[in-house]
Amino acid sequence: MTDNGNVLTVRNLKTHFFSREGTLKAIDGVDFELKPGEVLGIAGESGCGKSVTAQSILRILPKHGRTVDGEVLLSRNGAAVDLLTLDEEGPEIRRIRGKEIAMIFQEPMTSFSPVHTIGNQIIESIRLHNRGLSKREARARAIDMLHRVGMPNPASTIDEYPFNLSGGMRQRAMIAMALSCGPRVLIADEPTTAVDVTIQAQVLELLKELQGQLGMAVIMITHDLGVIAELADRVLIMYLGKGVEFGTVEQIFHNPLHPYTRGLLASIPKLTRGREVIEPIQGTVPSPYDPLTGCPFNPRCAHRMAGVCDLEMPEVVEVEEGHRVACHLYPKDAQT
Amino acid sequence: MGEFIVRRLLLMIPTLIIVSSIAFFVIQAPPGDFVSAHAARLEERGQDVDRAVLEAMRARYGLDQPIHVQYFRWVRNMLRGDLGVSFDWNAPVTAVIARRIPNSILISLVSFLYVYIVAIPIGMLSAVRQYSLADYFFTFVAFIGLGIPNFLFALVVLWLVFSATGSVMIGLFSTEYVDAAWSWSRLLDMARHIWIPALIVGTEGTAKIVRVMRANLLDELQKPYVMVARAKGLPQARVNYKYPFRIAVNPVVSTIGWTLPSLVTGEMLVSLVLGLPTLAPVFFRSLQMQDMYLAGGIVFVLTFLTLIGTLVSDILLGWIDPRIRFSSM
Ligand SMILES: Nc1ncnc2c1ncn2[C@@H]1O[C@H](COP(=O)(O)OP(=O)(O)OP(=O)(O)O)[C@@H](O)[C@H]1O
Ligand SMILES: [Mg+2]
Repeated sequence: MTDNGNVLTVRNLKTHFFSREGTLKAIDGVDFELKPGEVLGIAGESGCGKSVTAQSILRILPKHGRTVDGEVLLSRNGAAVDLLTLDEEGPEIRRIRGKEIAMIFQEPMTSFSPVHTIGNQIIESIRLHNRGLSKREARARAIDMLHRVGMPNPASTIDEYPFNLSGGMRQRAMIAMALSCGPRVLIADEPTTAVDVTIQAQVLELLKELQGQLGMAVIMITHDLGVIAELADRVLIMYLGKGVEFGTVEQIFHNPLHPYTRGLLASIPKLTRGREVIEPIQGTVPSPYDPLTGCPFNPRCAHRMAGVCDLEMPEVVEVEEGHRVACHLYPKDAQT
Repeated sequence: MGEFIVRRLLLMIPTLIIVSSIAFFVIQAPPGDFVSAHAARLEERGQDVDRAVLEAMRARYGLDQPIHVQYFRWVRNMLRGDLGVSFDWNAPVTAVIARRIPNSILISLVSFLYVYIVAIPIGMLSAVRQYSLADYFFTFVAFIGLGIPNFLFALVVLWLVFSATGSVMIGLFSTEYVDAAWSWSRLLDMARHIWIPALIVGTEGTAKIVRVMRANLLDELQKPYVMVARAKGLPQARVNYKYPFRIAVNPVVSTIGWTLPSLVTGEMLVSLVLGLPTLAPVFFRSLQMQDMYLAGGIVFVLTFLTLIGTLVSDILLGWIDPRIRFSSM
C-alpha cells in the first residue's frame, strides 16, 4: 500500500454504538484525505459525528462504540498502516497515539484529571514517548512547550492544578500537552467552544501560528464555518454520520454543491451586507436510530426528488478535481 | 493544613462536652441512683440493707448533692483527665475502660480493614466489568449483606461455624488464653476468633462501600480525562490505575466519617450477642446499675475515638485530593 502523498487517508469509516435501545450509526461512511502540513476542516451540526470520527481514528472510542468498517491509513516512510487493523490496546497503536497523532479535546475543564497538576499530565506524555529523557529534561521540555503556547509564568504554572487555571489557560495547557511530542497530525476537536468568546480568537491565532511553525497537518473540527474559512485548506462537511461534501476551501465556499452545504453557508450571519440575515435550514435532524432510507438529508432538503432521494442512498461522485459530493443532484453517469 | 488540624481539634472540645452532657443527663433520667440500684440487688439476694450505710455511700459518692453540682464536678474532673470512679467496680473509670477497650478497638479496627480492603477492589471490579457475571454476583451478595440484620447474621455465622467445625467459636479467645498475658500465641488465638465478629460488624459497611465505589468509578470511567489519557498512548491498565481508580477512591475515603460510628455501635451489639469481653457488656451493665460515671466515661471515650478517626480520615482526604486541600484547609 502506498500513501499517495497523504499523511492520513480515511476510507468508508463506519462506527456504531451498540446498546439496549439498538444500534446507533454514529458514523456511517466518512472519507477524506489529509496532506502533510495542511489543515482540514470538518464541519457539521452538533451530533453529526465529528468527535466520534476523531475517536475512531485514534481508536479511543468510548464503551459500546465499535468501528465496523473502513480504513484509516497513516503514512509511514512512504508506506501506509491501516490503524483499524491494529490491536486496540497493543503497543503499535499506543506508539502512534500522542506521538504521531495527537488530539486536543472539546472540554478543557474536564479533560485534565482534577487531582494531578497539569505538569504531571504533560510530562507523563513526554516521558512515555521519549524513553531516554530524564525527569528534569522532560520537565524542561514541558515548560518550554507551555512557554510556546503563551502560558504566563510557565515555570510555576506547570505545578498548578487544573481548577486553579482559567478556561483559556487550561486550553493552552491542553494544546501544549498535545504538541509536546511533536505529532505529524493534530486533531483539534472544537478547541474553542468551551472557552470565552474573547479567548476563542486568541486560541485560534495560537493554533494557526503553531501550525505554521511546526508544520504538522491539522484536522480542525468545528461547527463554525468562519473558523474553517480562516484556517482550513480543505473542508469535509458531515451530516448525520456521513461525509456529504469534500473539497478545497475555495470549492466549498464558492461552489458548494450539496444542498446541506449551501444551507450551512446561508446560515452564516451576513454582517458584510450591513444587516444580519440568518437563513436557518428547515426541519430538524432525524434520530440516528431510525432506519432512514435514502439520503439522510432528504426530509429537510428543498431539492428532494420524490422516488429517488427518499429511496436510494446517493453515491459519492467526484464532480470536479478533488471536489466530491454525495447527492442525487449529481448522478454518477453524468460524469466522465 | 496545620491550621485546619488545630481548628478541628479545638472543635472537638465542645463536641465532647455536649455529647457527654447528654449522656450524663440521660443516664440520670430514670428514677433512683446507683445506691438504690445497689440496694435492690442486695435485697434480691436476701441480704439486709442498712439505711444508714446507704446514706453514707450516697455522701461518699456525692450522690446527695443536687444534680447540677454533680454534673459540674464531673465536667471539671474530666477536663483534668479524671473520669471519676465506677461505684460498681469500685475502681477508677479509666482503669475499667483500659482493661476492656483494646478488644473493642481491635474488633472495630479489623472490621474497618475488612470493609475497605474487600469493598474497594470489588467495587472497582464491578464497575470495570459492569453487567458481567462477577458484577451481578457481587451486587447480589452486597444486596443480601445490606438486608440482613447484624444479630441474625451473627447467629447464622455461629451456626455455620458450629456445623462445619463442631466447635462454638464464641468469645475472643480459646479457654486456655482467656486470662493469659499477651503473647504471640495469644494474639494468634485471637486472630482465629476475631474474624467472626469482624465479619458480622463489617459486612453491612462493606456492602455499602462496594456500591459507593462502583457508582463512583462508573462515573469517573466516562469522564473526558480518561479518554485524554488513552489518547496519550498510555496502556489501559495504567490509565485506569492512575486516573479513574485514584479519583474514585476520594469519595470513598470520605465515607470513613460515617462508617466509624456504625462500626463502633455494630461492635457493641455483636459483642453483646456473642458475649465478647469488650466494653459492650460493661457499658450495658453500667446502664442497668446507673453506674453513671462509668457509663458517661465510656460514651466519652468512644465519642473521642470516633472523632479522632473522622479527623484522620479528613486529613487523609485533604492529602489525597488537592481540590479539598485548596478549598477548605
Ligand atoms: N459514548 C457514546 N455512547 C453512545 N452514543 C454516543 C456516544 N458518544 C457519541 N454518541 C453518539 O454519536 C453521535 C455523534 O456524536 P459526536 O459526539 O461525534 O457528535 P459531534 O459532531 O462531535 O457533536 P458536537 O458538535 O456536539 O460535539 C451522536 O448521535 C451521539 O449521541
Ligand atoms: Mg464533538
